This record gives sequence, C-alpha cells and structure tokens, in this order.
Amino acid sequence: MRRELRAEWTKARTAPGTAWLLSAVVVLTAAASAAVAATVSCTAGGCDQDVPRLGLAGIQAGQAAVAIMAVFAVTGEYGSGMIATTFAAMPRRGRVLAAKAAVLTGLTLAAGTVAVLASVLAARLILPGNGFTAANGHPPPSLADGPTLGAAAGTVLYLALIALLSLGAATALRDSATAAGVVCGVLYVLPLIPHMLADPGWRRLLWQATPANAGLAIQTTTHLDDLPLGPWEGLGVTAAWAAAALLGAWLLVRTRDVRA
Amino acid sequence: MRAAIEVIGLRKRYGRTVALDGMSFTVLPGRVTGFVGPNGAGKSTTMRVILGLDAADEGSALVGGRPYRSLRAPLCQVGALLDAAALQPSRTARNHLLWLAHSQGLGARRVDAVIEQVGLGAVARRRAGGFSLGMRQRLGIAAALLGDPPVLILDEPVNGLDPEGVVWIRGLLRSLAAEGRAVLVSSHLMSEMQDMADHLVVAGRGRVVEDTSVADLIAAASDGRVTLRTTARTEAMEALARAGARVAVQDRDTLTVSGLEAGRIVALLGANDVPFSEVAAHRASLEEAYMELTRDAVEFRATIPRDGTATS
Repeated sequence: MRRELRAEWTKARTAPGTAWLLSAVVVLTAAASAAVAATVSCTAGGCDQDVPRLGLAGIQAGQAAVAIMAVFAVTGEYGSGMIATTFAAMPRRGRVLAAKAAVLTGLTLAAGTVAVLASVLAARLILPGNGFTAANGHPPPSLADGPTLGAAAGTVLYLALIALLSLGAATALRDSATAAGVVCGVLYVLPLIPHMLADPGWRRLLWQATPANAGLAIQTTTHLDDLPLGPWEGLGVTAAWAAAALLGAWLLVRTRDVRA
Repeated sequence: MRAAIEVIGLRKRYGRTVALDGMSFTVLPGRVTGFVGPNGAGKSTTMRVILGLDAADEGSALVGGRPYRSLRAPLCQVGALLDAAALQPSRTARNHLLWLAHSQGLGARRVDAVIEQVGLGAVARRRAGGFSLGMRQRLGIAAALLGDPPVLILDEPVNGLDPEGVVWIRGLLRSLAAEGRAVLVSSHLMSEMQDMADHLVVAGRGRVVEDTSVADLIAAASDGRVTLRTTARTEAMEALARAGARVAVQDRDTLTVSGLEAGRIVALLGANDVPFSEVAAHRASLEEAYMELTRDAVEFRATIPRDGTATS
C-alpha cells in the first residue's frame, strides 16, 4: 500500500490542475462566504440568524471545486487512457482506489481547513459592520465558541466526504462529463427536491436522505430541534453516501476490463 | 528453457465480436518474438490479457510462471508499451516516469537513467502533451525499461517513428534480447519484423496461424523456386514451359520458376539460345511468406474482380 500511496501522491503533486483546484476551493468558499456575510444585516431589535452557518455559507460554492477535483483525479486518467498504465503498474486496483481516496482526503482536508478559516475570518471582519454585535445579541463567529468550532470542523469533514463521494462516482462512471453531471446533480439538484413536495412526511424523509441537505446540518447551531436530523447524524448520511459510492467503485474496478 | 510468457488457450468476446478464439503460444527469453497479424487478429487483446488489464473468458496467461496480477512489482518483471498516447498531457515526461517509478519502489535516479537511454534527456522537463508521436513512443519505451525487466511487451512500437527511430528501436530490441531478455513485439506489418525478430507468432482471427522461426518461414515460402533474369522473357517462358516448369512473371525482365532446378534451367536456356543474366535461388520476402499464411485469416480484404478495380 505504501507504493500505491507514494505513486498517487506523486501524480497529484505533479498535475498542474491540482494546485489550481485547491486554490479554487479556498477562494470560492471564502469569497462566497464573504458575499453572504455582506448581504445580511441585524438590527438593534435583534434578528433570528444562525451566525456560524452564515459565516460558512460559501461552502455551497467551494464544494463544487472539491467535487470537480475528485472527479478529474479519476476521469482524467480514463479520458487519456493512462488508467491502463496505472493498472499495469499497480494491478491491485482496490489499493489504487484506496490510495487515491487517501491522497484526495488529505488534500481536501488541508484546503478545506484553509477555506473554512478564511470564511470565519471574513465573517468576523464583515458581520460587525452589518449589526452583528454582542450588543445586538449576535456576536461575530469565534472558533473559541464550542458550537462554532463544531460547525467549522464539521464543514471541513463534509468537504472530505463530498470528495470521496465524487471519487467513487467518477470511478464507477469513468467519463468526465457524466461523472461531473451526476455529482453536481447530487449536490445542487437533489437538495431542491424535498422543497417541491407537499407531503411533510416525504419532505422530511427526502431531506434526511439527501447528502448535501443532511450533511450541511453540521453547520446549524440554533433551533436544532427544528432539524429533521441532528448535525452529526446528518454528516453520517453524507458519509453513508460516500461509503456506498466507494464500495460500488471498488466492486466495479476490480473486475471490469480497463478501457479508455 | 523456462518460457517467459505462456499464453494458454485464451478466449475472449466483446459483445458478439470474438476477439480471441483459443490463442496459445509461448515466448522464450533471449530472442525477439514478433507477434504479427492483420488488424483485428487479437494481438492487442492478447497483450492486454497478459498484463491483467482485460480478463479472458477462458484460458490463462502467465509471466514467469505467474499471473500478472499476482506480481509484487510488476514493472520489474514485465515492461510494457501498449499505447504511447496513454498519458496525461499536462504532466512532464520526467514526472510521468517518476510516479511510475514510485509505484514500484524505485527512485528518481532510475528515471533519469532511462530518460537518457531513450534520448529524451533534453526534453525531460517538458509537458508530454507537446511531444510528437515518435517522442511519445520513446517515452513509452522508457517506461517499459524503467524496472529493468527480464520480459518486454511492446504493441506496435515502430508506429510513428521516423526512419532513424525505426533503426534505433530495432537495435535496442535486438540488444535487449541479446542480454537474455524475452521480447514480444507486435506489428500488423510483416516488413517491420525483417532484421528485428528471430521468431514469429502469426495471428489471425483470434488464434495462432503459425509459430515458427523467421529463417524457417522464409525457407518454406522460397521452397525450390528460382529467380531468372533475362531480356528475352517470352522465349524463356516458352522454353521452360515446354520442359514442364511453372513460370511466373515478377517484372519486365525477371521470372520466378518452380518445378525445375537451377542447373536444368541453365542447360535448357543454353540449348535454346535464350540469353540470361542471372539465375539464383529465390528468397521470399517476409511479406510474401506472410501473405501466404494469412490469406484465409484476413477479415477485410480487397478483392480484385476482372475489370481490375478493387472492392472490399
């Protein structure tokens, strides 16, 4: 497994796209978080806002860069045909998948941490100007605050799970456009469906089953009782999706002929 | 001598297409084995099965007595070039070899050595995507040599090489075989095997049509025929035909004669006052021998009707 890890790390390190996409994760997340922070306001009469969730809202944009990075880590090889070289050099394909997952998780955790810290920093700088002050009952987010720290750390983990979900889907689907389409559908279209349903029971069930809805419950720090799922249970749903995608990929990649 | 590669009764279908239909042969160390046959004969599929990329429906392929997918550091056992275009274009040549080296527990020193060996030293830090096909072939050969393997498998390595490159690869493969390695090299052009292969496995329609040494194959195809060079073609043909020979026209002043030995031909021509400048044993080209062999195995062949236009 050491050799597979080293090879996959060298691949990631020497692909020019990796640095770009990691930067995109940070920039998109921080910029979108800052934009959201700049458009909300809190008056002296008080407001009903979940401040940590506001400050981390940019994850909706940053997760796209994570997903694209994960998808291209695999489909880039299938598209160019290099996957045959990879599997000829490392015939234990399950290990290759595991090594790719490990490298991708490491990179995503690193970029995600920077992105989340940058988002929190931006929120701390911008929100007080919009009335989010201790005097109004809504101090700007601080990592010294337990629930805020939990939301921030959980968001980083959420990004890593999205990376693994995308990696699994891409390995199973092999084609860049198909895999990117499917993953973006899961991240951006699937979360809308519960809102279109009239029946509250179905709405609740589908919300619970959607990885993007349930997973981002981890950012919620207020009105937890109103959530269909607890924050960590929600992250568990995303983890289950990631695990299922990787399991499917593993079953397929072991036996399938290697075609470009 | 222990076979380096054993291919035993491989069968493989892709949908309704039969790609391999009982392919069996062995590759011995110390010589270049040419793997030839028309496009669609199953050469590439066989190589993909040997390398564990595609699974055969039946049969097995062993490298050094073991299935490829059980090898610990496979590139140190088998070096392979399947498709020179199969790399990520944005990575430099050196970095492409570097991740391959790391996958086998090898270091950067070995990478620099093979880059120099294939003559890509000057462009090692350039993006492989900008390489010509010939340069990519050299990079692919560098990857095959990376693990200093006792077995090499090369699919159409001459494709896209300039004449200098062709001479280079011929010499390289011959010297690798001379070092005691087993070299399996495929081509759909028999002429490429001339002066390169010692042994030939000829494939057609997913199976082996002929498994023979190059020398034997040429001898068999040349069998008993004599080449005659003469300015009096018509007279020579009449004289020889009367004596019971079969005569074929090769070009304006050259005939190929079978059914008569050279001495009798010289005597006959002398007796009939037919001038001639050369009588020699006919040496078939590999190409000729190959056409003979694969005549029934070619899937798409142009047929030439009486009016002379080719259809397929």
